[in-house]
Amino acid sequence: MSTSTFDPAALEQLQQQKSGRPWRKKPTRFTASVALAVVIPALLVAALFLTSDIPVPILLVVIYLPLQLIASGIAAWATKGTRGIADSVIIVNAIGASLFSVVVLVSVIGSLVVRGLRALSPHFLFQNSVYISPSTPLDYGGIGHSLVGTLLIVFIASLISVPIGIATAVYITEVRGRAVPYVRFFVQAMSGVPSVVAGLFILTIVVATGAFNQSAFAGGLAYAILMLPTVARTAEEVLKLVPDDLRTGALALGSTRARTVLRVVIPAARTGIITAVILGVARVIGETAPLLLAAGNNDQTVVNPFGSPISSVPTYIFNNVALPYPDAVARAWGSALVLIILVAILFTLARVLGRGRVGR
Amino acid sequence: MVEGSQLQLRDLQSAATSHRGDRVFTRTVAGAAFTSLAVLAGIALFLGFQAIPAFQTQGLSFITTTGWDINTNPPTVGIFGMLYGSVLLAFIGLVIAVPAAVLLAIFMVFLSPPRLSKILTNLIDLMAAIPSVILGLWAFYILNPTAEEWQVLLNKYLGWIPIFENTSGNFLGTPFIAGFVLAIMMIPIITAVTREVLSRTPPELVNASEALGCSLWTMLRYVALPYGRGGIVGGIMLGLGRALGETIAVFFVLKLVYETNWDKIIESGGGSVATLIVSRFGEVSGPSELQLLLAAGFFLFIMTLVVNVIANLIVSRTGRLQK
Repeated sequence: MSTSTFDPAALEQLQQQKSGRPWRKKPTRFTASVALAVVIPALLVAALFLTSDIPVPILLVVIYLPLQLIASGIAAWATKGTRGIADSVIIVNAIGASLFSVVVLVSVIGSLVVRGLRALSPHFLFQNSVYISPSTPLDYGGIGHSLVGTLLIVFIASLISVPIGIATAVYITEVRGRAVPYVRFFVQAMSGVPSVVAGLFILTIVVATGAFNQSAFAGGLAYAILMLPTVARTAEEVLKLVPDDLRTGALALGSTRARTVLRVVIPAARTGIITAVILGVARVIGETAPLLLAAGNNDQTVVNPFGSPISSVPTYIFNNVALPYPDAVARAWGSALVLIILVAILFTLARVLGRGRVGR
Repeated sequence: MVEGSQLQLRDLQSAATSHRGDRVFTRTVAGAAFTSLAVLAGIALFLGFQAIPAFQTQGLSFITTTGWDINTNPPTVGIFGMLYGSVLLAFIGLVIAVPAAVLLAIFMVFLSPPRLSKILTNLIDLMAAIPSVILGLWAFYILNPTAEEWQVLLNKYLGWIPIFENTSGNFLGTPFIAGFVLAIMMIPIITAVTREVLSRTPPELVNASEALGCSLWTMLRYVALPYGRGGIVGGIMLGLGRALGETIAVFFVLKLVYETNWDKIIESGGGSVATLIVSRFGEVSGPSELQLLLAAGFFLFIMTLVVNVIANLIVSRTGRLQK
């Protein structure tokens, strides 16, 4: 056998394939058959859609999907043989599932923008709803009182849950006591408490015992229950990133453990802890059920956290959704748009801050 | 090196513990760390305590029968249909969400170009961040008409299958629509966990299977999916926990009826414990009905707690195995 024959063409081919993965290189035939498998079913269904009056769902599920599966199956069989068919089924369905999720998301965000913009105006953000009935036109009234309420409730929830959440994280990462696995387990279990149950709990201990009314304080307590696990878990992740050298350094300089944590470790993780707080706020800010139970509803602007029921953006949406007045519904869409913008701002802040948190 | 520095840290810490301020600090922190336990116990105790009178008047029929009549004396109330409804809605949601989420995760990890998969990750995070009241608003106005059309077609062509029966001709407020909304809430949760475990499949295993000539399907079937199975199941359970406790989104799209809808998923009317609480709370007639709602909340709490604990045990155990 002439194994050592020098073939310049083969060498050139080898050199061309040296970078990257040669087995990933797609031959023209493959590209062509994939293109055909994508185009032919789409064209057929488009033609059917234009010429016949078959309902769209049937067109999609009964005609397009099987057609697409068969077409890609044939394409896969032609290029890769029988083994390719299972792959083509997975690929078609995976792309379909991704498209489905994207379509749902675009539909939600798109409808919020399209329907919400009608209600948005400066006075919508600042006025309250004292003299507003569901049939009042959009020229008057707004969600100012609900925004104040949401801010107050979230502020109270943060005051309660942030110190406790950070202390929980400090216990897990700094004190490292024997109970750490149990503490983590309970925090996990707490993150699964349904929001309506948190509201019921606060209702029983705070409102039903007569200690307080439905109020911003009671709503804040309910929010705090939902916020605490998020703050604790994120803060734990962040504190873990603080290098041990800082701790040993501080202790070696004669600092006490408390001082090490409070003056060295937590400041070192400052931005990350802010991220934890923001994620906690973003987790609760749209929760409705606990506020329906614990905070109630109000048309006036309330700033006293204890005295009276208080409105909030989610409960405002809740109260306006199913009303038979177009303007009330427009207000619901408008405040939903405001709420999702708030959530988006919070998440963007958390992302931006989270980027620079390691090793600072 | 790492072990050395940890040993030093522990030594230094124990040397510093003799300080009195430190003991106060450690105890305070430890006390705060058990807040979560205190809250969980508090919920169980307070709601459980409030549930006692409901049980005394209703007996076991509170969870074995269905109905909500407070005008009789004592009121005849049973939440079986609601408990079953919560499970049915969550099951419908799972049937839609699990294949979608797992396929989506497969697409993001093994199929899509890295840039697209980063965009998809952000979109899925955004989807998880949509408050449920907004999803409810969307479902009420945008999803309802579309879903109605789909269900009419389902009934027309597959109506001979018992679950697709519809005798009332009303296709709104069905368990199917509510389950679909729950699926939209579960997809981001399940996708996030599944993507995480699939992307942690050791690359040497993936490369080896590729070198052995495995197709994508064979690789998934024998390498990636068995490897990530625990994580995927855990993610599904977490999504289930979320779905069982979901209140507001279901409130807008489900017509609450006080009878058990066993399997007619495109027939108007169904049940859900969480939604029952919110919808009855608005027109609660007195302390005794409030106690009944608290008792219902107690069972909802126990149900979600059990599901979540199992989910977390599964997730943490696979995490340990993988190390």
